[in-house]
Amino acid sequence: MLGSLSQMQPRQLAAQVLNFALVLSTAFMLWKGLSVFTNSSSPIVVVLSGSMEPAFQRGDLLFLWNRGADTQLGEVVVYNVRGKDIPIVHRVVRRFGGGDEPLQLLTKGDNNAADDTELYARGQSFLDRSKDVVGSVVGYVPFVGYVTILLSEYPWLKTAMLVFMALTVVLQRE
Amino acid sequence: MADSRVSPYSLNDLKNTTDDALGNYLRGLNFKQDNSKLDVRLALGYVAVIIAGATFAADYKLGWEATKYWTAVAVAAYAVLNTGLTYWMYMVEKGLVFEGDRNGNKVSIASKTKKHDPTYYLTVTVTKPGSTPSTWQIRSPFTTWFTADGFFVAKPFQQWLATSIEVVGDSDAKNANRDERDELAAPTAKVQVLQDYDGQVDSTGTDKSKGSKRSKRKG
Repeated sequence: MLGSLSQMQPRQLAAQVLNFALVLSTAFMLWKGLSVFTNSSSPIVVVLSGSMEPAFQRGDLLFLWNRGADTQLGEVVVYNVRGKDIPIVHRVVRRFGGGDEPLQLLTKGDNNAADDTELYARGQSFLDRSKDVVGSVVGYVPFVGYVTILLSEYPWLKTAMLVFMALTVVLQRE
Repeated sequence: MADSRVSPYSLNDLKNTTDDALGNYLRGLNFKQDNSKLDVRLALGYVAVIIAGATFAADYKLGWEATKYWTAVAVAAYAVLNTGLTYWMYMVEKGLVFEGDRNGNKVSIASKTKKHDPTYYLTVTVTKPGSTPSTWQIRSPFTTWFTADGFFVAKPFQQWLATSIEVVGDSDAKNANRDERDELAAPTAKVQVLQDYDGQVDSTGTDKSKGSKRSKRKG
């Protein structure tokens, strides 16, 4: 198989490499397109904890929308805590400001006993709607996200999958 | 490619091997290959990939907020390029395998297969100097040039092409079974000329089955 690769004309080889590059770049650009459309840095997230049960379970796939800036009470938002990289999905239980003033939110997990002040960064007692929130949940697919949970908990799976994909695309034509 | 073995049940392998052999054969006959259509495809594709790569790098280094608007522009540009690429491949190239010319005769050959049908379909377009292009379709089962265990045999394949495409036959007289074809087309006209021509052709060794048939008929 690799032998046939080396026998190719340079242009054919370039076309073959292009096929592979296009698969990756199209996936990436679709994701970015969705980001632009929803105005959210990560428009699809996976629920990692049970803090929102029974609304959302571990492994649920959530679709976010970040264009309605006037977040209401009861909406479920995904936010980033300053200085941490894992976003959190919790429900808005209190809001301050809004309109001309900057909107500030307090959130709480449905399944948690207390609100999120403990989770926020040191010295922070509420979320800034425009800075911290990644988007509001507008839809979800149960369970599908488990694949990514598996991938992040067993990193070697990720490598194995990438290698497998790369090989199939390079070795198979069309 | 002739030495490599493919699965005779994989239509894709059969087609790819044959496509490669077709290019090699015509290049071997001193057809000057014109890669401009493939080059356009490569240009469109690689520009798109570079845009995606740049977007990825910018996003990685600067983050989403800083790159938001440029990302929107890049996504739009990528979509346009990708649409162009798809259009180019399906509306312009249409499975083009080889395009080139020899002595001013331009040949362009596109191949395709149909699902569950082990037949090689070619669309041939020949443009002779000073005339309008003529296009026709030829087809042949892959079994003509593949053995049962998946080896490609060049001879019958080259004969098929040289016989069904005149411009190719002109450059490869020994593989062009001219007599066969012309006798079918015009049984009376040029018998004498053809017989002279046959003599030369025979000496270089034509296809056994067809050759023997002909000699029987003549004898």
